[in-house]
Amino acid sequence: MLCLTRLCKSYGKIVAVDDLSLELRSGEVFGLLGPNGAGKTTTVAMAMGLLKPDSGSVRIGDVGSPDAASVRAMIGVAPQALALYDDLTGTENLQLFGRLQGMSRESLRKRVAWSLAFAGLTERASDRVKTYSGGMKRRLNLAAAVVHDPPVLLLDEPTVGVDPQSRHAIFKGIEKLRDDGRTIIYTTHYIEEAQRLCDRVGILDHGRLLALGTVEQLIADYGGKSVVSAETADGAIRIETDEPMAEIARVQQKRDVRSIRMDRPDLERVFLNLTGRHLRD
Amino acid sequence: MNRVAILALKDLKLLYRDKAGLFFTFGFPLVFSIFFGIIFAGIGEGSSKMRIVVVDEDHTDGSRAFVNLLAESEELDVEEADRATAADLVRRGKRVAYVALPKGFGEARERMPWGAVPRVETGIDPSRKAESGMLRGVLTKYGFEGMTAGYPDPAPMRRQVTAIRTELLNTTQEKTAASNDGATFLSNMTMFLDHLDTFLAALPSAPDGTRHGGLASDERASGGFAPIRIESVPIASERATPTNPYAVSFPQGIIWGVLGCAATFGLSLVTERTRGTMVRLRSAPITRVHILAGKAGACFTATVALTTALLAVAYFFFSVRPDSTFKLAIAVLSIAFCFVGIMMFLSVLGKTEQAAGGIGWAVLMGMAMIGGGMVPVFIMPKWLQNISDISPVRWSILVMEGGIWRGFTFGELLPWCGLLVGTGIVAFAAGVVVFRRVEGG
Repeated sequence: MLCLTRLCKSYGKIVAVDDLSLELRSGEVFGLLGPNGAGKTTTVAMAMGLLKPDSGSVRIGDVGSPDAASVRAMIGVAPQALALYDDLTGTENLQLFGRLQGMSRESLRKRVAWSLAFAGLTERASDRVKTYSGGMKRRLNLAAAVVHDPPVLLLDEPTVGVDPQSRHAIFKGIEKLRDDGRTIIYTTHYIEEAQRLCDRVGILDHGRLLALGTVEQLIADYGGKSVVSAETADGAIRIETDEPMAEIARVQQKRDVRSIRMDRPDLERVFLNLTGRHLRD
Repeated sequence: MNRVAILALKDLKLLYRDKAGLFFTFGFPLVFSIFFGIIFAGIGEGSSKMRIVVVDEDHTDGSRAFVNLLAESEELDVEEADRATAADLVRRGKRVAYVALPKGFGEARERMPWGAVPRVETGIDPSRKAESGMLRGVLTKYGFEGMTAGYPDPAPMRRQVTAIRTELLNTTQEKTAASNDGATFLSNMTMFLDHLDTFLAALPSAPDGTRHGGLASDERASGGFAPIRIESVPIASERATPTNPYAVSFPQGIIWGVLGCAATFGLSLVTERTRGTMVRLRSAPITRVHILAGKAGACFTATVALTTALLAVAYFFFSVRPDSTFKLAIAVLSIAFCFVGIMMFLSVLGKTEQAAGGIGWAVLMGMAMIGGGMVPVFIMPKWLQNISDISPVRWSILVMEGGIWRGFTFGELLPWCGLLVGTGIVAFAAGVVVFRRVEGG
């Protein structure tokens, strides 16, 4: 559905994206996981056709490059910055972005109502956006991306700075969009979001795609073994194992255990093993 | 709906909802116009030197002395030229009037107070009654001054008296020799002239007072005597004076509104970039041209609406009646076009809102300061008046005044309008080029 081929982009001497290739399947949620400055937003900007790559190409399905305005109509974008007009109401914001997409009056009316309901903002639809909380603005930002019912969504860190309640609402919304069959690129530096929402994850650092696969594949390939840590009368022990439950049982039988803990490998560990750094370093 | 119109309406709605921005765009110019209209009502144009051209066609010591007298005056800023040039300068509004000293001026002046009164011709627009009256007063004043300045030196007068006496003696001797009373008349005349000679001989050679013969110049003036005969030559002018002070202050106030529009919309383009809405706009199936055209359309609409609204206030509440509504409309559209282009250029000069705002206002304030947006050009020093010609604010005020009270012909109006439109096109094109570079892609 969305194909990025050997994309490169530099800003002066700084390489933002380095030979990045991706192919998104129709209806999947693809997570781009990486720390700040990894090149996620630059990749999204090139995928949207807003930024011209130094080399490489972007294609949307069979229709062509998003450089063409008509192709961009197939994409919905939720930028990292809140791309909303504070002095317009929620409804007016959605109407504006829908009109710019060329929607008919009737279609626009229905989709605006649907989008407001999707974001849980129907009751506040007539209020100006500047009166919204941060979480409400984030939800409206997402609603603005889907108002014209695009098959492809580019969501650039859509949960930055929101409260847990709004984050949960955004997760539910994205899961609904996935269930509706949309293709989604989801950039984040939150491990739990990628693990919860994404069918596949690409790990990005310094503009390079270090690994790509399902969460389970990545953990299996790069996460290493589970770690069992215990405090005993004889001192602390740390055991790496493929069978952590069995190992815990063995430790408890043989020693006087004061505390015991198991760490399964996750994407944080994957990132650490791939880069030697934690994701939030 | 056309996408450019959608974008323009969005910006107009945002302007309408920004109360502070709305005040500085619409309210402040109105306050400015009224405030300065009241102030100018008490000042008028007379607060600065009247710029005139002197044409010396006599080329005598007497005419030269009078030219020097005018040049050194406090009331006049004098430039010399031939009559054709002078008339042209007045016709084009570069000078208020011309004063021509025709042949015989110097001799007549030297013979004062006998003989014919020296004559000058003034070329001035008949409608400029205030300046015309002032000029007559000034010329009369210096006519007296020159005359009384001659009295302290009796030598020229003595020469004149002697010459007249000789002439009289010759004439009367011939004409009265045959008559009965001829001898008596000749004797009386000789006695009178001898007494006059004695009187003149008694005059000090270099006194410093202005009084002579017991009469001061003003006293003589009040008695109806004119030291100079002023003949007005109407210049088919093309210039007029403002009908009232608000005809001057409203164009200035409107310019502030126009500057406010340019600054507001220029800043809004930067805000779109810094706040992320530009990303969303550009992700829509529209081009950069749509975005810029929408912004330009909003700025143009707001500028025209502002100008129309303020001119309506001026018309209905302050009796500012335009000479030509059509010409004024052309002027307003040209101004809007120019400042839309300038807005576009300013909007891409700064990357942040602070930078763009600072740069924008610095440039616009500079234009306003030298262009007559703060004080009318005619009360500026001469050197600043010359510099003001490079400011679009000056051009804008000129074309607005051209439609309101200057009585511009199309030949006079359109070059300035062309300059405004041309500036708008160049600035807009430069802005678009930089915008494309800034936005990438």
